[in-house]
Amino acid sequence: MLLNYLKLTWKVLLRHPFYTFITLFGITLTLTVLMVLTSFLDHLFGTHYPENKRNRSLYITRLVQQDTTQQGRNMGPMSFEFLKKYAKSLKTPERVSITSLFGFANTYVNGKRIKLNTKYTDADFWGVTDFEFMDGKPYTERNINSGDHVVVITDDLRRQYFEDDGASVIGKYIDIESINYRVIGVVKGSPVTRPYTYGDVYFPYTAPKSNYQNKGMRGGFLAIVLARDEKDLPAIQAEFASGINKIPLPQTDGGFTFHVMKIAANQYLDDFAGTFLEGEDSRKVIVYSVIVFLMLMIMGLPAINLVNVNVSRIMERASEIGVRKAFGAPAKALLWQFIIENIFITFIGGLFALLLASLTIALINQSGWIPYADLTINFPVFAASIAVCLVFGLLSGVLPAMRMSKLKIVDALKA
Amino acid sequence: MLRHLLKLIWNKKGSHSLLIIEIWASFMVLFGVLSLIVYNLNNYLEPIGFEYKNVWVVDLNNNQDTTAIGEKTNQIMQRIRSYPQVEAASRMSGNTPFSANTMNNATSYQKASAMADDYYTDEEFSKTLDLPLTAGRWYRPEDRVSKSTPVVINKKLQEQLFGDENPLGKVLGNNDSESEDNQKTSFRVVGVVGKFKAKGEFMLDKPAIFKLLNKNDSWNKQVLIKTKPGTDATFEERLVKDIAAMAPGWGIEVSYLTESRANRQNLTLVPVIIFLIISAFLLTNVALGLFGILNLNIARRKSEIGLRRAMGATEGSVTAQFLGEMWVLAAFSVILGLLFAIQFPIMNVFDIAGGVYFTAIAAAIVVIFVIVTLCAWYPSRQAAMVQPAIALHEE
Repeated sequence: MLLNYLKLTWKVLLRHPFYTFITLFGITLTLTVLMVLTSFLDHLFGTHYPENKRNRSLYITRLVQQDTTQQGRNMGPMSFEFLKKYAKSLKTPERVSITSLFGFANTYVNGKRIKLNTKYTDADFWGVTDFEFMDGKPYTERNINSGDHVVVITDDLRRQYFEDDGASVIGKYIDIESINYRVIGVVKGSPVTRPYTYGDVYFPYTAPKSNYQNKGMRGGFLAIVLARDEKDLPAIQAEFASGINKIPLPQTDGGFTFHVMKIAANQYLDDFAGTFLEGEDSRKVIVYSVIVFLMLMIMGLPAINLVNVNVSRIMERASEIGVRKAFGAPAKALLWQFIIENIFITFIGGLFALLLASLTIALINQSGWIPYADLTINFPVFAASIAVCLVFGLLSGVLPAMRMSKLKIVDALKA
Repeated sequence: MLRHLLKLIWNKKGSHSLLIIEIWASFMVLFGVLSLIVYNLNNYLEPIGFEYKNVWVVDLNNNQDTTAIGEKTNQIMQRIRSYPQVEAASRMSGNTPFSANTMNNATSYQKASAMADDYYTDEEFSKTLDLPLTAGRWYRPEDRVSKSTPVVINKKLQEQLFGDENPLGKVLGNNDSESEDNQKTSFRVVGVVGKFKAKGEFMLDKPAIFKLLNKNDSWNKQVLIKTKPGTDATFEERLVKDIAAMAPGWGIEVSYLTESRANRQNLTLVPVIIFLIISAFLLTNVALGLFGILNLNIARRKSEIGLRRAMGATEGSVTAQFLGEMWVLAAFSVILGLLFAIQFPIMNVFDIAGGVYFTAIAAAIVVIFVIVTLCAWYPSRQAAMVQPAIALHEE
């Protein structure tokens, strides 16, 4: 029976190549956009190299200080001291790493300038992340305590600075802002879209210019908290919050007196949303609803188009339906025929979209638009796309088919 | 004619409602994308007002060093100006051109008040960035002895504060809490510049005010350096080495304005291009769909056309009827869309001048009608060519 439907569908598709093309074009376009988009979102928020433990990590990145009149507000990363006192001391997590947000420096080689993104981290940084060491090893607590001038660099920087000749660069020196650092490790770089781990060169936090000695609450550091298990996350958040609540208020920090202090250990997505949803005024709500509305339009337009074309085309096939009904086919059988037909064409469209999306993603990865971009069509993305495929197929299949199967035989035959 | 068309459309309101929704949705998408484009294009067409080629930014950071910061910075400035490769150099606050930093404050004159971007600079700023003055002069070293801080304002701020009045020599009020170093609290206007779009071509021309840095300011340690053409990284390396020797432990970061400008532009251009590509595909999709639907609809009305032709209607008038029907439908959808689109200028959602929306609306209407006409043209012509005898015979 199913095979019959499929055969029928195939014939119907070939009968009017132009309309088949319109339908396929719409489906392919929508699904490609959707898949590239989900793939990009997954790239941003999913658990990927080097943050392979992101699903059980919490991020403490922002401290907001407000005075009661709400006139003055300071926001930003924290000082090393502050994090050491309130984050590093947590009991529940497996480990806690403190790292600087990011900084910049230049280095020069053969009259050429290399712009560097610098990161100052503690030894635990290499534990909460899963950097792949291509050569050498990370710095340890001992390097940090003795204030060694050592660095871990990325493979990209190795290639640029040491004119890759295949020889190991471990033990060689790199001159950054007139200070010589010994390279002790080379890691595979991380994409810039992971700002808390991205960098070209990683220093122990006791290296010069890290400013970890700064007093006060605000500074240039953030903390990544790694839980033993995902289930521990709420407990860690509660433990951190109770520590923070013990800080007496109002306080004066760096000449600014504040009565309200907001800081939380968030999962990555919440942390990211926090940077944008800061300050909940009604205006922001409007802005976001406009964006959502626009996205819905972009997704909905091909769907409306599809339904429209389908509705018009089914009328075209009225006589065929009339004949089938006249020969005793029940409305249900007709309904099924159209639904299967639509699902079939949606899957063909899905297949094209899969190819097109892989091509687009490969292009994005290779364009160097995001260095170390690792966008992939992974299983969740593909599953979501197939689900969306089905919803679209049913949406544009059920509505016209329902109308059609209700048609009287006489009317159908007359048309 | 119009009443007749309306009646025809009303009779088929069921199938037309889907078409209306589709055209309406296309209009909304077009309106959104075109607003974005018109806004950016409008800004792009205005010159940025200064020259960024060959200008470098040196970002100094004193880190753990806390002694005599102002003096050291002044020595570094002197050293920088002494190189033969340097044409001019100026100290500036952190909001250097094309950077992500912004600083603004309410600036007032008598009753008028405006939010203006604050830039702390020194005497050489206009020379370093080739920022021409339209009236008055840039501040000079001898201005330091005066009681009030000399400032230069841009044209936009002049318009908002002074209107047609001559701003030179006027004293501005400013509730500036940031500048603890700058003890002087009154500001005297000594010059006016044209435009200063510090964030690049795509930035809106906003009010700006340039204030003279305090001599021993230790906070604002960005240095703009205009180098002679052909200066390369070898000089840069030497510069960094020399500064590092003068101020051990300081962070020294050099970047080029041409690079930061390209980064800035990408921030605007990449989303616009992505939206443009997606909406181009969407519209192609809609156009194809519309064409297909119209083709089917018109083919189904052959007998009606045959009858009209037999009664003496010309080919032209049949084509006009179908085109007219589509135009009325499109007009319905656009009016529906206008109800939504008009909310943007009224509610002022994105802080954009109303004119941008109106241009976008006009452009969206034109595009919609062009698409609809193109899609309806061929089926209408086909329909008009129907031989009455054949059409009526089929019936």
